Amino acid sequence: METVIERNSIPCLLHALAGKYRIVAPLDKNGEVVFADLKDYENLAWGYRVTITPPKQYFFPPEEILFTYAGKQIKTPSIPRKKLLIFGLSLRDLEAITQLDEIMLKPRPDYYYARRRTGSVLVGVTDETAHKSSSGDLILEKIDADLYRAIPLTEAGKRIVAHNVFKKQGVFSRKAKGKQATNNLMQLLLDPETIANAVTWSWTEAHPFWDELGKRCLGCGICTYVCPICHCFTMENSISLDGFLCSRRRQWDACTLPGFVRTAGGYDHHPSQKMRYHNWYYHKFVRAYREYGKSQCVACGRCQTYCPAGIDMEKELTMIVRAYGEAQR
Amino acid sequence: MNNLYLPVMAKITRIEELSAHVKLFRFQRIGTSFPKNSDGLTFTPGQFVMAGIWGYGEAPFAILSSPAEDRFMEILVRKVGTVTNALHRLNVGKELAIRGPYGNGFPVSFFADKDVVMVAGGSGIPPIAALVEHIIHSRNRFGRVYLLYGAATPQDILIKDRLDAWGGHIHVLLNVDHRDPEWNGHVGLVTAMLKDIEINPLNAVAVMCGPGLMMTALEKILRPLGIADRRIYVSLEQKMQCGIGKCQHCTTGDSYVCLDGPVYNFDQIDKSWD
Repeated sequence: METVIERNSIPCLLHALAGKYRIVAPLDKNGEVVFADLKDYENLAWGYRVTITPPKQYFFPPEEILFTYAGKQIKTPSIPRKKLLIFGLSLRDLEAITQLDEIMLKPRPDYYYARRRTGSVLVGVTDETAHKSSSGDLILEKIDADLYRAIPLTEAGKRIVAHNVFKKQGVFSRKAKGKQATNNLMQLLLDPETIANAVTWSWTEAHPFWDELGKRCLGCGICTYVCPICHCFTMENSISLDGFLCSRRRQWDACTLPGFVRTAGGYDHHPSQKMRYHNWYYHKFVRAYREYGKSQCVACGRCQTYCPAGIDMEKELTMIVRAYGEAQR
Repeated sequence: MNNLYLPVMAKITRIEELSAHVKLFRFQRIGTSFPKNSDGLTFTPGQFVMAGIWGYGEAPFAILSSPAEDRFMEILVRKVGTVTNALHRLNVGKELAIRGPYGNGFPVSFFADKDVVMVAGGSGIPPIAALVEHIIHSRNRFGRVYLLYGAATPQDILIKDRLDAWGGHIHVLLNVDHRDPEWNGHVGLVTAMLKDIEINPLNAVAVMCGPGLMMTALEKILRPLGIADRRIYVSLEQKMQCGIGKCQHCTTGDSYVCLDGPVYNFDQIDKSWD
């Protein structure tokens, strides 16, 4: 027997969960899919391919106040007690959050990420086969237009599935499903060691590829903002107009922006766009591999969709890996 | 859960103007002392703190004072940017917001019973000053100890009173790039200094910190002395923001300077440092 839920029952489930959780979901807004608070089920973007901004914003906001100081004691702002439930995540966005959890929670927990993430619930909805997913609390895998298979992965997921809108039914064939979405980048990511070696090799060999990318990259940083895993940030102070309250805030930064590594006095060891762009790849594919054994990429395609210079990571990485492979022969 | 971004408040208790652009700041925790680590030290020589001023931000500074001292810490501040300029405008009694100590520091237990050659340039003296204080505090646990300290001109030699005091415990050799009429020390980090240094290279370690002097010190002094690159420790300077290995500003190659550094074996960074 399998646990299933009818598509028509999902609003009822979410309505029940809304008492306990703040529910966020991918919504269709004027033709673009964005994560937002779920108010209107009509706009729910079932099985979205990609959203503009990734779900990381809910655990690692673009800008937040870390603490304030008004001359007596340091105060950390409180956050709403109601925990977050993100409904309708794609398998790739779920995987990206798992990676962010590894980065932000271990071994030195980032207090601000942890306090939002702890107790939150991630529910994936997918047209694909969910068995590969290592992440999230519950996955709803599409059986047909009206029916989803429930795959609870954690205790929180099991508690949701205990709701009476879920039914037990006979076993459904998984073969009748639509074809598995895949691309060349996903194939490459199965072997992160080769990518790490290829990126290292291409830089050491001063491959002309990097000169080309250095010229094309505009240094706008959008690729890192739309990336579901990129997590670099900067910390700044701001002072209220009357001068009595200081806030230390952090905001998303981007290693492709000029000045990311510039020290006081002006010394910049990444003075060119080529070096900064390379640093982005280096972090994602080399340092990340050596640190976590993975590439920090889930092939979601956001960076290539929103790059104003049209840089296509899938194409570029495929080229580096191919050139590396040829050089090894 | 421990919030690693929260600073502790400290009060400036002493300011020394060391040169036109460099001041020394001594600060103490408000209402308490600095906690000691498992080695009985308030920090490991070579570690740094993030010192912040409300309204301006934070910057990393190597701790200069003795790690055995729990009443205060000292940092040396060269006026180069927003935070350091703001620091230079502060007076005794003003508050600092401190995080840390951070970073690895020098492997001081490995240094025990060995000869130690330290090379510092200009405002690169702080991490080495803390190491000198540590060595002098337990002087008989170390072998022959040399400090080679160089600066552009005699006026740029910092903490002169401490150098004089250290001279009673370790060998202090000074050098400048440009002499003045009163200078009678070495000019430039020169091979001639070698004859003043007597160590057992197989049981010695070396330490370097300071802008621009690394390769000269290495080629003219440390390698000729016979000290292996692996035993030469270098303290790096990088932009820092979080201090706890999250924000990505200080990375160099695969390493986080705030966690894995700022102290590296020279051969670790020889090919990869930026």
